[in-house]
Amino acid sequence: MEKRWTSLLVMLWLVLGLPAQLLAQDCNLSLRGQVLNADTGLPMPYAGIIIKETQQGVQSDEHGHYQIERICPGEYTIVCSHLGCDHAEQKLALQRNAVLDIAMKENAVTLENLVVTGSSNKKAGTQTSSELSGVELDAGRGMGLGESLKRLSGVSTLNTGATISKPVIQGLHSNRILIFNNGVRLEGQQWGNEHAPEVDPFTAERITVVKGAASVRYGADALGGIILLEPKPGRQTPGIGGEAHLQGYSNGRGGIASGMLEGRLAKLPLSGRIQGTLKRAGNLQTPNYYLNNTGVSESNFSWSGKFQPEHWVVETFYSRFFTQLGILRDSHIGNLTDLNNAIERGRPLQDGAFSYDLGRPLQKVMHETFRVKLAHALSETDKLSLQVSRQFNRRQEYDAHRRFNPLPETLDDPSIEFEITTWAAELNWDHQLGRNWRGALGTNAQSQVNTVDRGALIPNFDNFDWGLYWTERRFKYGSPWEYEFGLRYDLRHLHVAEQGTNNLNEDRNFQNWSASLGVVYALNEVWKLRFNMGSAWRSPLVNELYSSGVHHGSASYEQGNPDLQAERGFNNSLTLEGSRNDHWTMALTSYYNLINHFIYLQPRSEAQLTIRGAFPAFDYNQADARIMGIDWTGDFTLYKTLHLESKASLLSGWNRELEDYLIYMPPLRFEQGLKWGFNEKKQADHPSFVRISALWVLQQKQAPVTDYAPPPAGFVRLDAELFHTLMWGKQRLEVGISVSNLLNTEYREYLNRFRYFSAEPGRNLSLRLKVPFNFT
Amino acid sequence: MKINALKLPLLAILVLPFLGCEKDDDNGPDNEQELITTIALKFTGGGQTVTFTAVDKDGDGGSAPVIQNINLKANTDYTLSISFLDESKTPSEDITTEVKAESNDHLVCYAATGAMVSPIASDKDAGGKTLGLESAFKTGAAGAGTLKITLKHEADKSSANACGTGETDAEATFNVTVQ
Repeated sequence: MEKRWTSLLVMLWLVLGLPAQLLAQDCNLSLRGQVLNADTGLPMPYAGIIIKETQQGVQSDEHGHYQIERICPGEYTIVCSHLGCDHAEQKLALQRNAVLDIAMKENAVTLENLVVTGSSNKKAGTQTSSELSGVELDAGRGMGLGESLKRLSGVSTLNTGATISKPVIQGLHSNRILIFNNGVRLEGQQWGNEHAPEVDPFTAERITVVKGAASVRYGADALGGIILLEPKPGRQTPGIGGEAHLQGYSNGRGGIASGMLEGRLAKLPLSGRIQGTLKRAGNLQTPNYYLNNTGVSESNFSWSGKFQPEHWVVETFYSRFFTQLGILRDSHIGNLTDLNNAIERGRPLQDGAFSYDLGRPLQKVMHETFRVKLAHALSETDKLSLQVSRQFNRRQEYDAHRRFNPLPETLDDPSIEFEITTWAAELNWDHQLGRNWRGALGTNAQSQVNTVDRGALIPNFDNFDWGLYWTERRFKYGSPWEYEFGLRYDLRHLHVAEQGTNNLNEDRNFQNWSASLGVVYALNEVWKLRFNMGSAWRSPLVNELYSSGVHHGSASYEQGNPDLQAERGFNNSLTLEGSRNDHWTMALTSYYNLINHFIYLQPRSEAQLTIRGAFPAFDYNQADARIMGIDWTGDFTLYKTLHLESKASLLSGWNRELEDYLIYMPPLRFEQGLKWGFNEKKQADHPSFVRISALWVLQQKQAPVTDYAPPPAGFVRLDAELFHTLMWGKQRLEVGISVSNLLNTEYREYLNRFRYFSAEPGRNLSLRLKVPFNFT
Repeated sequence: MKINALKLPLLAILVLPFLGCEKDDDNGPDNEQELITTIALKFTGGGQTVTFTAVDKDGDGGSAPVIQNINLKANTDYTLSISFLDESKTPSEDITTEVKAESNDHLVCYAATGAMVSPIASDKDAGGKTLGLESAFKTGAAGAGTLKITLKHEADKSSANACGTGETDAEATFNVTVQ
């Protein structure tokens, strides 16, 4: 929790007051000072200053001055808050009258980024969320977004082999989750189970997962939750700095190099950043064999610029993501007989060998994002911002089998190619109503064109979305209650054109409301309760409406249903949070979510016969569903710097109409770790640690019988990690060594669609080095 | 001076996305996914040649393939010659030449039931292993049965159960009447 403050520039002057008056216990002490803007040095009026322990508080006057009287001697935490600034927290041992000047950093809310609003407020916001930053993010992000987020409780992944990994939040994934990369809603081809999110986790400094349907601020569709990737805020001091990452992996013999360079001018409030990542890895290895053609090659690049004259911010951001993913050759099958043969074998035909070659089947995915944002501070509390973005996504899939008799010039053509272009605009007004209500009112519009250049699985389409939202939050320091509500209206127009040689030429309209309500009640200093309820909806996607064709990876024939209605989710969650300074923290969330008209694939009783043989056929269907579960996370200090870290998630998905389980729901996961910290005094911000953890996953017993193979057995996997910060002269070096699957256990994950064909990768030793640098 | 030094690269990167936008290869939609639409079986024996087909012109969805019933004479020596066609194009394309050209990567498998006798492949691929486009068999007594023809791609021909490996390119089960 405290990490956040470390990133702030909180300057403090503690000037001892007049000679000691009385050391007696009489409560006559006073604390006074001035609140200043760290950037401009100007006084900040109307900031709230609170002594956390006693709840004594005042507001700074128009010149930023404040004074708190009648304080008993003791140790206190002084909290200063101001809309548009991060809260500043300072510990203080008060024995005599003191002067404390507080310099506050304007935070992301004001001027950085629209979406950050939500997550910066997160600490005080009502929704259940968890975040990944610092060492924990560094350790996982080389493995992609999905794998990094697995470190959070309640988040799992839906995999297609080891290289394609999609985040699953409380049992929901793909288009039921929204991903925001630097404020832009990711619009790629998220509908496919084997379509991984097209983002480079190295662009983010923090990744926040907001769980549950109350996504009013971000858009309809997010029945499962939201993932926010936030870059480091722009550089605030003149000079040049950055960071370099080098990572190496033993399994797949992979390497990653990522670098970021940023600078800010001294005379102009202008800053800029460039960032890039290169990644290359070869065939992965399970404990007993190699997985042929499971290499990956990725090259990503981004830049951003920010101009910040007084009261204004102009920001630009561009990123380009390009990945080439090899797909296990043995997973590419012709028909049901082939699939049954492969399942019977349970492993690839050959033991395979190591190679960096990327052969067919292969995916090539390119994603470009460009955004411009303009923000203006109307007053100390109100901001207006406008963001315009463009995204372009090209997905090319190469089947194992080239077509027969290819013309020489079409020899390397993909078998499937989709291109989608998205333009979006958002206008937002952050405001304060009265003293304690803060909120946002805004509107957004999006226009999208998708062309299918090869393959006829889905039709060409274009759609237009428009939304209007309003959220308000009441938050008052000192009050145990906090409230939040939000309301949203969305409409979507979908036009469907050609699919293969058919011209469907159909228009569909969907529109509806979303709403959310949240309450937080602090029982005392230690315990806090959060209750959230919300309702969101999602219009059926083009693949759910019009899919028609065979998926080779799963050897299934999928048929869309143009009559599908929108899904409507009702989400309820209750979280109990507790934290006792350095002793322990915990959070226990229970949720109960109903999704009406939940869209799923219903197996047909008869296989679809084609000239390639029989394929199991699935129809998109809808029924009322229920997903409920418990997420748990805790950290307990056992002895000095020895911590017990504990995480668990339990979930149950039920189709209420068929009275059967929902497919692909994560089984019970339970993770326990021991972490021993050292070197904490020398490197307080980046303390070193050693950790050993055990992941225990049960067999999924709650699975429908319609699966091709029963869910795999449960397993226990051991992981170990060492992180150490060293100084090389004045240069800080952060070194991490981790071993996943320490015992080289052979296991399979239920949520990996390739569990039919192979085991999960074996032991992996990884080394990583992070070098932050700074020239001023 | 510092400003000037930074201005150029800044300008350069600001302009970059407008240069690096989509390069759409406007070949138009290319939806010819179907590789094989037709399996044709040519039986020669008893002094005559008969051909039976399995045809699925509209691809994976839509209508099911139309598979003709095979009629053969009892107690007769036959040779079977199989060809694969793509009849979605005009003129139709003979995929068999491709199969022959990449003979090492292909294997035709037979599975017979009832009164049908499983044909025995008589041709070899470029590596001297079974290919299966050409085969021979002798029918037995009259009766009914089936014959399943499967064209495998990248099957492991050295495997004991070669037909249980690889990826199916085409498959059809014909009803057979021996009389």
